[in-house]
Amino acid sequence: MNDETFMNERIDVVATFGVGLNPCTPVRFRRPSGRVIEITEIGLRHPTEQGKRMVHMFDVTDGGADYRLEFDSERLTWRLTMEGDHVEN
Amino acid sequence: MLRTNYNASPPQIMHIDLNSCFATVEQQARPMLRGRPVAIMNRRTEHTMIVTCSYEAKAMGVKLGMRFRDAKKLCPELIGLESDPAKYRFVYHKLMDIMNDYSAHVRMKSIDEGVIDFSETTKVLQGRDIVDIGHEIKRRLKEEVGCAMRCNVGISTNRFLAKTAAGLHKPDGLDVLTSHNLRETFAGMELTDITGIAGRMERRLNAVGIYTPLQFLDADPVTLRKMVFKSICGDEWHQRLRGWEVDKRDFPMRTAGRQYVLEKFNLTHAEVLQRLHHLAESVGYKIRSQGKQARGVAVYARSRSTGYWHARHMASMPFFSNQAIYAQAAQLFANAPSDVKEIGVTCYELSDNTDPQLSLFGDELARERHITSALDEINSRYGSRTIHSANTLGTDMYVKQKIPFGSTRYL
Repeated sequence: MNDETFMNERIDVVATFGVGLNPCTPVRFRRPSGRVIEITEIGLRHPTEQGKRMVHMFDVTDGGADYRLEFDSERLTWRLTMEGDHVEN
Repeated sequence: MLRTNYNASPPQIMHIDLNSCFATVEQQARPMLRGRPVAIMNRRTEHTMIVTCSYEAKAMGVKLGMRFRDAKKLCPELIGLESDPAKYRFVYHKLMDIMNDYSAHVRMKSIDEGVIDFSETTKVLQGRDIVDIGHEIKRRLKEEVGCAMRCNVGISTNRFLAKTAAGLHKPDGLDVLTSHNLRETFAGMELTDITGIAGRMERRLNAVGIYTPLQFLDADPVTLRKMVFKSICGDEWHQRLRGWEVDKRDFPMRTAGRQYVLEKFNLTHAEVLQRLHHLAESVGYKIRSQGKQARGVAVYARSRSTGYWHARHMASMPFFSNQAIYAQAAQLFANAPSDVKEIGVTCYELSDNTDPQLSLFGDELARERHITSALDEINSRYGSRTIHSANTLGTDMYVKQKIPFGSTRYL
């Protein structure tokens, strides 16, 4: 099966907000362990309604693993909820 | 009046089909999966059937409907992912938004395909080459959703031929099928390559000497009507194959149902009833979301020892609440066999839930209607199943909402 790991970590994120089709772009994030991950590509961003709260899901990669970041637009918080690694180094 | 000639008018129907939709969306979302064999399933177990797989997996012989365990034997590197409906719904809405930019006559046929009818669009759009529009839609899908997204575009004079054209060069193809290249295209196809012709229909066609799409195209309409299809469907096929439109119609909602394969085979009867209750709540929400009420409830179960079992009941009065649906389903289910592995609830005889005729039980009905509508409003504002029956507490972790195939009513 797939080697996804699910979690619910509060993370610090550096993101840019601009104009265009993808106005919010996370650039890098820091996990609670202190490890900083540079995002090289945003695969998909899709909004999901959790009740009346809108949470934006960002599926991103650093070139070595895929991550899912969740941005709660009401609380303005970021969480790391999934890590999937398919590269066998 | 049947037209015997091919439709030679300019092609104005465009069929757009996302290639291996769920797998492609996952590969778009997770760049590390691109170029790898990926299979999407509804549950993370080895016994689950594959819903969709990527082209890389298809190249290794993996097919839809295959169990993951069997597919893994064909393709040991196969990566199994659980379906993520929210992602697919997002892509569906993006595709629909793009298509709506070109015509007001857009019909989504399912979560991964839709049809644009350009025959009634504005003069400005009619002035453009439809093939250019097809290429533009493919480009916009990549720009607005992601670079890994691919779609097939088929252009023709009717919906059937447009869908056929969309299937000619997968993945990422664009084909135009007109009266000029119709015979040439059909010559390279098998009967079962035609949408709507599967094994049984193929045997019926074979029985009257039709073995190829070209023979089907040349068949006499009387033979098709009286000997093959034994109905007006024969005439419709005769027209459809010649590029005349016979499929421009919407079908009313007749039933709404939900099924569930039990997570374990040793559940007690009470636990099975809990899951049945969950399904009844889900079906109730489905019919109310479409402004409908039902008069009939059907339940079915698949047992490991006795096979398929079903029962149905038609009530004298229409009903709409979860409570009413479950009460009838549970009563029917009392006769269900033991060692069940799959269950399902369906509501039928649906009608519009408009102001009901005055009834002797008007007050009770009005009270039920108000309570149900208040619950639906709360669930819609604060999240699905914020309020539900105490009996279904804890069933959410097993009975998850998955993608409805076919209908786009609930997307």
